Amino acid sequence: MNARNISRRRFLELVGAAGGATAVYQTSLALGLMEETGAPASLNLLNVGKARKSVAILGAGMAGLTIAYELERAGYDCRIIEASHRIGGRNLTLRSGDIVDEMGNKQVCQFDDEPHLYFNAGPARIPGHHRRVLHYCKLLGVDLEIMANDSRRAYTQDPDAFDGRPIQKREFMADARGFMSELLYKAVNTSAFDAPMSDEDRARILEFAVAFGDLDPNGLYKGSNRAGYASGGFLKAGELKGTLDFSELLKSSFWRYGMHFAETEDWAAPLMTPVGGMDNIVKAFVRHIRSPITLNAQVQSIQLRNDGVDIVYNHKGRQHKFAADYCFNSIPAHFIDGIHNNFPADYASGLASLERGHLSKIGLQMKERFWEKEEIYGGITSTTQEIGEIWYPSHGIFKQKGIVLGAYLFGFSRRTRAPSNFFEKMTPEERIRFAGDQGNNIHKGYSGYIENGVSIPWGRMNHMMGCGAGWSDEARTQYFSRLQNPEGRHYMVGDQISYHTSWQEGAFASAEYALQDLDKRVRADMAAGAGTV
Amino acid sequence: MKHISLLVCLILPTAAFADEVVVIPPQKFVYCTVCHGADLKGNRNIEAPRLSGMESWYVARQLEAFSTGWRGTHETDLPGIEMRPMAGALSAAEIVEATRYVAAVSSPPPPSTIGGDAARGASLYQSCAACHGPRAEGDESLGGPGLTTQNDWYLVTQLKNYRNNVRGHVAEDTYGQQMRAAAQLLGDDTEILDVVAYISTLKQVQEN
Repeated sequence: MNARNISRRRFLELVGAAGGATAVYQTSLALGLMEETGAPASLNLLNVGKARKSVAILGAGMAGLTIAYELERAGYDCRIIEASHRIGGRNLTLRSGDIVDEMGNKQVCQFDDEPHLYFNAGPARIPGHHRRVLHYCKLLGVDLEIMANDSRRAYTQDPDAFDGRPIQKREFMADARGFMSELLYKAVNTSAFDAPMSDEDRARILEFAVAFGDLDPNGLYKGSNRAGYASGGFLKAGELKGTLDFSELLKSSFWRYGMHFAETEDWAAPLMTPVGGMDNIVKAFVRHIRSPITLNAQVQSIQLRNDGVDIVYNHKGRQHKFAADYCFNSIPAHFIDGIHNNFPADYASGLASLERGHLSKIGLQMKERFWEKEEIYGGITSTTQEIGEIWYPSHGIFKQKGIVLGAYLFGFSRRTRAPSNFFEKMTPEERIRFAGDQGNNIHKGYSGYIENGVSIPWGRMNHMMGCGAGWSDEARTQYFSRLQNPEGRHYMVGDQISYHTSWQEGAFASAEYALQDLDKRVRADMAAGAGTV
Repeated sequence: MKHISLLVCLILPTAAFADEVVVIPPQKFVYCTVCHGADLKGNRNIEAPRLSGMESWYVARQLEAFSTGWRGTHETDLPGIEMRPMAGALSAAEIVEATRYVAAVSSPPPPSTIGGDAARGASLYQSCAACHGPRAEGDESLGGPGLTTQNDWYLVTQLKNYRNNVRGHVAEDTYGQQMRAAAQLLGDDTEILDVVAYISTLKQVQEN
């Protein structure tokens, strides 16, 4: 056997024998056999040293900040140009006195000025596999805490079931499993199951059904303490709740959308969030970045050159020009058609294929943490009313007040599932009333606790006009790779250029991809000895 | 007067790269360019029409129409609904200032983006010419705006809106009502595309 025809598998075995599992893993990565799922332990960007290249970064959101952080450490001269009045993009934590720059509906956040009274109006939670976000949190010293995304003590509520009564999630889920397990038990026990099955397997399935649904020894579901006790449990024996009506349970759409929510890819418990607000990530980047950031600077023109990109922007009534060697552009793709540019037609068509997302949130200051009296601490109530969700804060337990997420909308009706921007059309006052009215169907006297609120319809926010860029399957196929890769020295970046739009991890992933591409070409140019990059 | 001359200073065109001329919007109208684009050239992705090239009297009339609810109130007119609060925030004096800004900008002629049979559109256009002029250059005395500077996709959208009573549905909106009636003369979407295709050819004639 010689080195030339050694199989990859045999090679990895040899590597493993010599260097152990880590070596196999590293080597597999190098061979391209394993998908890279880890954090960028180090992007290992080549320092351009004296060549000092200038970089225009359009947009001070998570992608732009990451690119500035990494490139200035590799010797590039970066300048960040941001259209809005603030740094962070959609990473927005609202506190007392903050401005919500909604087109036509400018609001000022009226929360009390207390550290625990804040609202993450954009990203709010970080799952454990969003390793790039977590990498930068660790690197930049952003303290994280666990955030209860799921509470079995919160409610599910559906106007079409149980006369619209809120049902504790644990009760719904215990009973749903119980009844379904009973059906399984009966089917297997009476040989209604047509599958070829050994007696041993049959017995195991019956045991599984008993365990899964907490059935009695005869395979019947008569309630479970998984639903929570009706009373007792400490000084006297716990008393089970009676079971819910199976027919009503089937009418509820909770089992369709909500019941498995906390098991899905990005929402499986536990989730994390920065202590004190998501924008601590933004602040940490700003502390570690030297590159100038110009706010209120709106890009008017992007012109590609063979050896760079020319940017024209308006800052406080003065026009500025920036001839950059490279440009990283996180401007929402739907704005590009309104900016002078000389992009090739297919590149422009690709950018135009992205659809504006219409995510909206509302944060309500509650004068009392009434949910804690209902034994709810953190987590989410799911409802098929239009507000969709109520989030109870995981932090600030037992303080007097708290900020509750009072509605989370995705640009479609929760009732009909048809596209709808009704929330965007409302005035801020109407939105608070709307959230309060529907909340009343879940918590008695809910609207009476509301002191004030801020609504953030991302599709109406100045310089954003969208959140959660939409990619049709056709657009993905036709344009994703085109847009992910640079046009000349111009890179489109941001969560919009990822498979995780509206997530910070998408922005970090996009930035990482673009930086790796830049590094590759810069290394190649330098190796070619041109001296100029 | 001092106020006006200051405004004129602010909106003088400034030379840019690559033969681009970009007008700096007055600070208070920067937000207009968020959707309508640099130099108000329009943005199809937001369905924001081109304003550069629009007559001042027509701009003012439309801002007032949005403000009073003649436009931007029909539930299916999503871009109109988005525009309405923006117009509602403007005072009468600010509307005048806005028309000055619009008058100061220019942008390259809009590209043709739709299909359509211009020859068939030519005969359909005859009934339009009465108000919009034989070359679609517009006629202030009759209230018909020029059409050649507008994005063709926007003309298509608006013709459909008129035909479907999404625009021009308010009784007091005399011009809108007239146009709504006129749009009924266009039988189907194909005829709308044809007549807009013809209007695009008039744009090319003007360029030549």
